[in-house]
Amino acid sequence: MGDGRAGGANRPAWLQQYELVGKIGEGTYGLVFLARLKPAHPAPGRRGPPIAIKKFKQSKEGDGVSPTAIREIMLLREINHENVVKLVNVHINHADMSLYLAFDYAEHDLYEIIRHHREKLNAPINPYTVKSLLWQLLNGLNYLHSNWIIHRDLKPSNILVMGEGEEHGIIKIADFGLARIYQAPLKALCDNGVVVTIWYRAPELLLGAKHYTSAVDMWAVGCIFAELLTLKPLFQGVEAKNTPNPFQLDQLDKIFKVLGHPTVEKWPTLANLPWWQNDQQHIQGHKYENPGLHNIVHLPQKSPAFDLLSKMLEYDPRKRITAAQALEHEYFRMDPLPGRNALLPSQPGEKIVQYPVRPVDTTTDFEGTTSLQPTQAPSGNAAQGQSVSRSMPRQMPQQPMVGMPRVAAGTNMAAFNAASQAGIAGLNPGNIPMQRGAGGQSHPHQLRRKADQGMMQNPGYPQQKRRF
Amino acid sequence: MAANFWTSSHCKQLLDPEDVELVPAADRERGIMPEEFRLVKIHMSFHIWRLAQQVKVRQRVIATAVTYFRRVYTRKSMSEYDPRLVAPTCLYLASKVEESTVQARLLVFYIKKMCGSDDKYRFEIKDILEMEMKLLEALDYYLVVFHPYRPLLQLLQDAGITDLTQFAWGLVNDTYKMDLILIYPPYMIALACIYIASALKDKDTTSWFEELRVDMNIVKNISMEILDFYDTYKIDPQRGLPDDKISPVLNKLPAKS
Repeated sequence: MGDGRAGGANRPAWLQQYELVGKIGEGTYGLVFLARLKPAHPAPGRRGPPIAIKKFKQSKEGDGVSPTAIREIMLLREINHENVVKLVNVHINHADMSLYLAFDYAEHDLYEIIRHHREKLNAPINPYTVKSLLWQLLNGLNYLHSNWIIHRDLKPSNILVMGEGEEHGIIKIADFGLARIYQAPLKALCDNGVVVTIWYRAPELLLGAKHYTSAVDMWAVGCIFAELLTLKPLFQGVEAKNTPNPFQLDQLDKIFKVLGHPTVEKWPTLANLPWWQNDQQHIQGHKYENPGLHNIVHLPQKSPAFDLLSKMLEYDPRKRITAAQALEHEYFRMDPLPGRNALLPSQPGEKIVQYPVRPVDTTTDFEGTTSLQPTQAPSGNAAQGQSVSRSMPRQMPQQPMVGMPRVAAGTNMAAFNAASQAGIAGLNPGNIPMQRGAGGQSHPHQLRRKADQGMMQNPGYPQQKRRF
Repeated sequence: MAANFWTSSHCKQLLDPEDVELVPAADRERGIMPEEFRLVKIHMSFHIWRLAQQVKVRQRVIATAVTYFRRVYTRKSMSEYDPRLVAPTCLYLASKVEESTVQARLLVFYIKKMCGSDDKYRFEIKDILEMEMKLLEALDYYLVVFHPYRPLLQLLQDAGITDLTQFAWGLVNDTYKMDLILIYPPYMIALACIYIASALKDKDTTSWFEELRVDMNIVKNISMEILDFYDTYKIDPQRGLPDDKISPVLNKLPAKS
């Protein structure tokens, strides 16, 4: 893989094989960039594939490569599946001790797809797409589980969907920073901190289970399935922060309200869970009698879809449906059958949904330093600067922009969009101008997301940091 | 794959014995002979083991660390990658991979405690962190390693000779003083250790081995190698190799910069 030897001052040689497009994400671990692999034999109009490059900071002073990065490298280097994100390269910059993971780039993720339907289209995701997304998610998860890997952090933003091209509409499970091989854990799994974003966290974890299983991922899949159907997170508990213990009463309460109270009769090992024992007053005190799941997801109680969902949201992890069993469920054998490209219209002639592309901050370089663009955004407003550069492909000739020394956004972006147009041209040539236009228009809204977060219409939808 | 040896990177990276014993060109130029190359690897396996006792990690972490160490020197020279720094760094990286992280400053502390008098073993935290990245590269980012311990327990159970567990387990530990883990599938190493253990403890496992349908020639070859190793080196299990044997070899390596 990567050659970390520096090709110049602070500039490793491997960097030469990429054309940086810009920053697309940020997390506690570091930054994510969009780049293009330079083609081996450059020719006009020829572009290499888009690559997402995740840059890891050193975790703490004196702690070396972050354990999160180690987990991702170790697992992704061993596994290979159509529905799991592909690690194409690892690079090291010895000069600043930073580590870079290069992945096949995915244009969409379930978080953005769901959000687009909820906030822009005000329309549900079509049943074919829901079923195909779910099937592929289960297919990837079944592969992981049969290899004794628990993901532990499944949530819509970690489930990527490929954009236009050869793999259009294919799901890629991403972010293995918390994933573990559970065949022979040296320590109890709960030892390295509480995992899984609380909305998707399984009840046994919320009740303090010490040894948990792949069933925690299936609970998360159930939550995601419901979210695909309703466009709203199923259990939106308010996270109790800064508590020394992982007890999340509100999250449990949200679950109990919808699914009814768990009982020791139905879930025998419940009695052994620490929080169930310790907090009789709060947890065992309330009694929610009438499960209302079908009302929330608007599914007939006798439908296969509802049956599958309720089996994923089974309280007892031992009785919860497994990924392998779920793939065999009747739901996937009825019309519409799940397909390889989840984003195709379910019926011929139906309009294809054009999801927005990821916002790219073209002002940030690999070092994470932001170059102010005096010619464009004197206020330094990132969002404004973005939408300008994003719309460039249609306005700009193929010339690097003056005043943007680091990133020749003009050329990069033009080529980028040209390539993706070529991608869809094969599928639906008539729609291209419309689609690109729609994509461009929705873009500024998306860029404003950060600023809007505090005053969003749905107060129950809390801020969620993009974890790529 | 993470839990299936046959599809794992470990399996794909298994080497022929000749390739493992090859002294890197840079080391040959410094006059390091194949036998000396082997001595350094034995000595450093002890070093890792002793350091691991101090920081209290499980056997599995030690085994992974030694495997990394040995793998590195099928690709890199000791002249370029100082074994005295690579050894503790392998332990550091293995502890992260095996989810029982040991802090670098703790390693530095115990190295000083263990080898205080010998300046050539002393490194700073910064050295370990820099070497960690170089190791990741040298290992080509393949970090999952399989070991004979789990198959050993399963096979002993299957053969109904769990009373040999402690003895066979000790034999497996000793195989990390050799390069076997780079050459053979872990379950074959486990079988060889069971073969030796049952022979030495007078347990008749002939029919059990026959039913296994494994290539007994390989099992016997590995067993011979292990017994040869004991015979050749007669190492003190607590102290490792005597200093007068190992120092002249290490002195051929370039001095710390």
